[in-house]
Amino acid sequence: MKGRKYSFSFVLQVVLSLSAVLAVLLPVFLAGNLWPTAARDYLERNGVKESGAKNLVSAIYLGYRAFDTLGETIVLLVAVSGTITIIAHSGISLAKGFAGAGLAKPGSKSQLIARRTELIDVVTGKLGPIVLIFGLYVMLFGHLSPGGGFQGGVVVASGIVFISLGSKTDRSTQLQKAGVLARLEAAGFLFLVFAALAGILGGHGFFGNPFAGTGASAGTYIVALNAIIGLKVGAGIGFMCVAMLGRVD
Amino acid sequence: MTVIILILLVGLSVYTLSSGDLLHGTIALSAFSLLSAILFYLLLAPDVAITEAAVGAGVSTVVFVWAIRATERKDAK
Repeated sequence: MKGRKYSFSFVLQVVLSLSAVLAVLLPVFLAGNLWPTAARDYLERNGVKESGAKNLVSAIYLGYRAFDTLGETIVLLVAVSGTITIIAHSGISLAKGFAGAGLAKPGSKSQLIARRTELIDVVTGKLGPIVLIFGLYVMLFGHLSPGGGFQGGVVVASGIVFISLGSKTDRSTQLQKAGVLARLEAAGFLFLVFAALAGILGGHGFFGNPFAGTGASAGTYIVALNAIIGLKVGAGIGFMCVAMLGRVD
Repeated sequence: MTVIILILLVGLSVYTLSSGDLLHGTIALSAFSLLSAILFYLLLAPDVAITEAAVGAGVSTVVFVWAIRATERKDAK
């Protein structure tokens, strides 16, 4: 970059992006009353009691604004579908993944083993199950401690990648099979739609708590939603990564 | 502590942008995510910290490394 005259369009881009940042940030700094506080105060007083989740973040995004979460999972579904379509239609150049570096034919087992070190075996293979357990914990205890379905799902996906990288044999668990993960993701989305519709039967509305008034603990529905979202996110991102590792059959 | 992490973040992002070897840039980006996860935790947002650590340092690194393997490692001069 040194000694080169910046082109006009580059300067224009920098100026435009800086002015866009200013247009967003200046009203925040200039306003006397920074944020509206009505919703915050309401949530502080009633959030834990109404939704049954001690973690107020979970209470908001599953108890009050679950519709946003549905949109988020749809975005993820579309992203995973698009990625898989691109990989499947790109032929050998993208699907070779980490396995074949142009020497042996992609996916050949001897090549896979020759390219790995003891470090990868020990770290990823042994750490994978622990990461999976931690992901399940984050997922299922999202209403009490920091975390939730999405966070737990991504941690579970990391665990799947670890196991997939660290296994010496081709298959040691069903979780490495791309087909199983894809079906898990589809089933997760189906469960999410059913869970959203379940509230309608009891007259609580779309994404209403179907357990309200049945005597069950108030957090039951949030735990169920967290588990379903975690299953869906973990299987989806895990499927994408396993496909990128070149293990699609 | 926060100031130290913020300075490190700026340094790491400058290194990521300027490094010619894309793999080095990806590793620096991963360290960036890890540091910002620590920053989020210090700023009392543990939910965001877990997401940042898992997505930024874990999954997106895998995606970037895969993309580098599928294309070229060195930046075009």
